[in-house]
Amino acid sequence: MTLTKGFSFSKYIAYAFLIILCLLWVLPVIFGISTSFRSQTEVVSTGFRLFPEAFVLENYSTILSNTSTAPIMRWLMNSVVIAVSHTLLVVLVISLTGYGYSRMKFKGRDALFFTLLGISFFPNVVNLIPSYKIIDMLGWVNTAWAMIIPGLAGMGNLFLVRQFMLGVPQEFDESARVDGANDFRIYVSIILPLMKPILIVCGLFSFVGSWNDFLWPVIVYTDVDKMPVTAGLLLLQDIYGNYRMIGQLVGSAILAMIPTLLLFAFAQKYFIQSINLNSGIKG
Amino acid sequence: MKKAITPYLFVGPHLILFIVFILLPTIYGIYASFTQWNLMNDPQWVGLANYKTILFDTESTFHTQFLNGLKNTLLFVLLSVPLLIVLPLMAAVALQHKYVRAKGLMQSILYVPGLISISAAALIWLLIFNKQLGVTNNIFGSEAAWQATQPYAWIIIIVMTIWGGLGGNLIIYRASLAGVARDLYEAAEIDGAGSYRKFFSITLPSINFPLIYTFVMTTAGAFNVFGQPLMMTDGGPRQSTHVLMMYIRSLAFGHGESIAGMASAMAVLLGIVILIISALQYYVMNRSAR
Repeated sequence: MTLTKGFSFSKYIAYAFLIILCLLWVLPVIFGISTSFRSQTEVVSTGFRLFPEAFVLENYSTILSNTSTAPIMRWLMNSVVIAVSHTLLVVLVISLTGYGYSRMKFKGRDALFFTLLGISFFPNVVNLIPSYKIIDMLGWVNTAWAMIIPGLAGMGNLFLVRQFMLGVPQEFDESARVDGANDFRIYVSIILPLMKPILIVCGLFSFVGSWNDFLWPVIVYTDVDKMPVTAGLLLLQDIYGNYRMIGQLVGSAILAMIPTLLLFAFAQKYFIQSINLNSGIKG
Repeated sequence: MKKAITPYLFVGPHLILFIVFILLPTIYGIYASFTQWNLMNDPQWVGLANYKTILFDTESTFHTQFLNGLKNTLLFVLLSVPLLIVLPLMAAVALQHKYVRAKGLMQSILYVPGLISISAAALIWLLIFNKQLGVTNNIFGSEAAWQATQPYAWIIIIVMTIWGGLGGNLIIYRASLAGVARDLYEAAEIDGAGSYRKFFSITLPSINFPLIYTFVMTTAGAFNVFGQPLMMTDGGPRQSTHVLMMYIRSLAFGHGESIAGMASAMAVLLGIVILIISALQYYVMNRSAR
């Protein structure tokens, strides 16, 4: 038994599989980045290359100087405003509401929570069209509100916060209550610090989800100056047409993916370990 | 008195948001499916007419669109979901191997594409499958115009989907595998069980719940497919990758007058399909696990 462990055959199978998979996963991004630094003439004349012959910034200067048909800096700014405001509001709403559903006592609390959760399981393709109508009635079409507010109604994050709080001993808030602290005081000084790990995780996923949302922005934005970058990229295939300007197309895509990748670089452990906070799924 | 109100100050704001942005639109979406509606004027009640047209009127374009969209959506589900379960599970098992190094790095590489938006990812994958400039045609000598020929159009959609979707399920399986008790494996080794035997008798049963969860969620997500075919093939060639969500969107929000009632009926039908399939999956898997 111990002898065979030394040149464990399964190790090489595992390595071979993982290395091939990782190469397939990372090469598209590297190829995209390198193409964005190749000149148009080089791309057309020499076809595929993994690395540029001459490293040029011309694609990016072209992309950034287009402020009319494809104002990418504007799109990125719109996305930042939307994703940041949405994330902050998500954290506020789920912490307040999560405190309510996990710690406060009121009649029918759990019944209400599970009723909402049950309703939220209904496939949301059904509410898509009326949601647009509501946004239209509120005057939010082509505004950032259309993407900041509706997502706050979701039950997913709230479920995670409630689950998390059920696993946190009630001693801390109980003793504060005995000392005469009111609910708002308990929320601010005791519950928020306790919730921090789950709020960070929900916040990160809300940011990424909001940044990458595609179907909804494609529906609610028609104004080129108001849309987020994901919806903007859909227009690019027409604007930088049919791969004659391939560097501009890919360069725009690279710019659009930088924020979430940066977030991952700084908060990697929260993304990867997020699932440990969600013991319901882990099983 | 004051005490009775405070809980509602905490849960109230979310409750209002829930009613306005989930409950009302869901009810209205079902109601609208029984009406003729252009999103502007009041909907006109037409009873089951939309459903009759969509399901049975073979003359109607709505009928052909629905059948084609549903067929393509189902095809996407059947092609993508098994790969989105099996590949992450294989990767998780491989990463679990005790002699494999650089686990964190490899896991991150596999996870990162999930953080890239569909539209950005599609632009990169279109470059890779580009006929003149792409990797596939230059290195592998393929002559195919990938976007415009079947089965290649489906292949590029599925490849891009697996690339983006593997990481999410991977970290769920990784966390679950880490929780499987070591002594079970040790006991099995003493009894002389091989790797396959250990995988099927210990690993799979132990991660039963995460498997059901990912299977149901991945399938429900796949039924809502929209971005990949829209960006990669725009539904072509000859509408063979035109999925149901694309028809629903273009009927309700496309050029010309909105046909939101008909689109709502298609949305309700898609919702019913998702509900039935999720319930079946949960029931069958939960049962066979016991």
